[in-house]
Amino acid sequence: MVVGRVSLLVGAGMVVLYSAAFGYGGPLFVNIGTVVLPIFAVSGGLGGALLFSNDRMKGVLEYLVAYGLSPRRILANALLAGVVQVTLVLGVGVAAGLTTYLLRGYPLTLRLPEVLLVYTFPMSYLTSSLTTTVGVFWTSLSSPRAGLNSPIGVLPLIGVLPTAALLIVALTLGSYATQILLGGELIIFVVLLSLLVRTDRLMPPERLLSPA
Amino acid sequence: MLGSPVGRVDEVGHDRPTSLTCRSLASGYEKKEVLHDVTFTIDEPSIYVVLGPNGAGKTTLFRTIAGILRPMEGEVLIDGVPIDRQSARDHLHYLSHTDGMPDGLTVRESLDFYARVERATSTDVDRVLDQLEIRELENAYISKLSAGQRKRASIARVFLRERGIYLLDEPTTSLDPKVAREIRSLILDLSRDRIVLYSSHNLFEAREIGRYVITLKGGGLTLFDKMENVRAAHYVVGVRTLEATAALGGWERKGDYYLRELSGPDQVPGLIQDLEARGVRLREVREMENPLEDLFS
Repeated sequence: MVVGRVSLLVGAGMVVLYSAAFGYGGPLFVNIGTVVLPIFAVSGGLGGALLFSNDRMKGVLEYLVAYGLSPRRILANALLAGVVQVTLVLGVGVAAGLTTYLLRGYPLTLRLPEVLLVYTFPMSYLTSSLTTTVGVFWTSLSSPRAGLNSPIGVLPLIGVLPTAALLIVALTLGSYATQILLGGELIIFVVLLSLLVRTDRLMPPERLLSPA
Repeated sequence: MLGSPVGRVDEVGHDRPTSLTCRSLASGYEKKEVLHDVTFTIDEPSIYVVLGPNGAGKTTLFRTIAGILRPMEGEVLIDGVPIDRQSARDHLHYLSHTDGMPDGLTVRESLDFYARVERATSTDVDRVLDQLEIRELENAYISKLSAGQRKRASIARVFLRERGIYLLDEPTTSLDPKVAREIRSLILDLSRDRIVLYSSHNLFEAREIGRYVITLKGGGLTLFDKMENVRAAHYVVGVRTLEATAALGGWERKGDYYLRELSGPDQVPGLIQDLEARGVRLREVREMENPLEDLFS
């Protein structure tokens, strides 16, 4: 839980600084700041996976399984922890960016809510949830390890790669950017859903046991 | 049986199961079978010590009885109800060999978390804090506790709510003898009139608390009997000294070692103290014969 809190604090702190800096630049916040936010939101998903990994090592999950909680419910709790963290990161990020943007006297346009609703918010929650889900399955398959050799070490890539790939494609084919973004998000959603449906098969209870 | 109450209702209104049955139980991890054809029935509230060397299958047995591992064959029944039913599982408390306490929380926060899981109350948390004598640690972070304190906090979790069956997997491992004895005493005190399965690889610990002994070897059940029927075995230590000494003149010799039979490891510190008081300069004291080897052979 400590790692979850640290992850959240670091993520929130960084996103406040970057969003405020982008807000200071006016249009930069709308055009780049909102695009960068989902990458920060991955820290929320990472927090969920770290929480799971830590609880598994400490034997917390073993106890919860003994009490009758299913792996699906345990994963759902990790996802919920990630979603809460993402909401906090997004909340402070948008608030910081918007505040400096307005204080600098820039006008509000429809472009800002459009980007937030089409891209920033859905992409943040999707990549965060994907990061958590893949992270949970992955760490449950392996013995706990520390550092970059552990699944947790490369997890941010799981969240950042789809975001970056989708952005590059959307920016390259600018005239269909909105449709491409929505289509990409739908694909990530379907992948996520198919993983969640297979939770019991991919992660039987014995995968949640602490190392002997 | 689905949905029907399991066990009798005791005087304070709690359901309490009267029997635990493992029938032709085979269990393990993935496709690796660790337990083979284990069958026994427990129908008397008492402490049953599950003994076995490392790798014998003690933890696997506990995890299977707790419903964490699904049996590959056979079944676990509580008063005839399969353990995969929540109504049967609700009668069990399981203490794993890890403490299950999250480092980032305080003792109070951890117990509050488990109280919510257990549907226990804040009053229950206060009660176990006092029972386990960890009230002064209430606001201490788990990560700052000693091994003995962590174990106490972990055991407190198990007694948040009364249950009929307790599975305690090596609760005194890695604790120093004094703390281990305190923990055993607490467990004895708190688990009266319950079915307690207590795993250990220490026969002397088993003799101290157990009324029955269940031994496992290679994943199979080798003995289920009253402790008093387990034959007395020798506990022999060897003493090696830095120089020849007349103080051990009457002792039996084996190579460089002077041999002495004791009733158990608890007597070793006293022996060392006695020898040092007699001016014997000790190089080594080691266990020469382990009665567990007799028991498992």
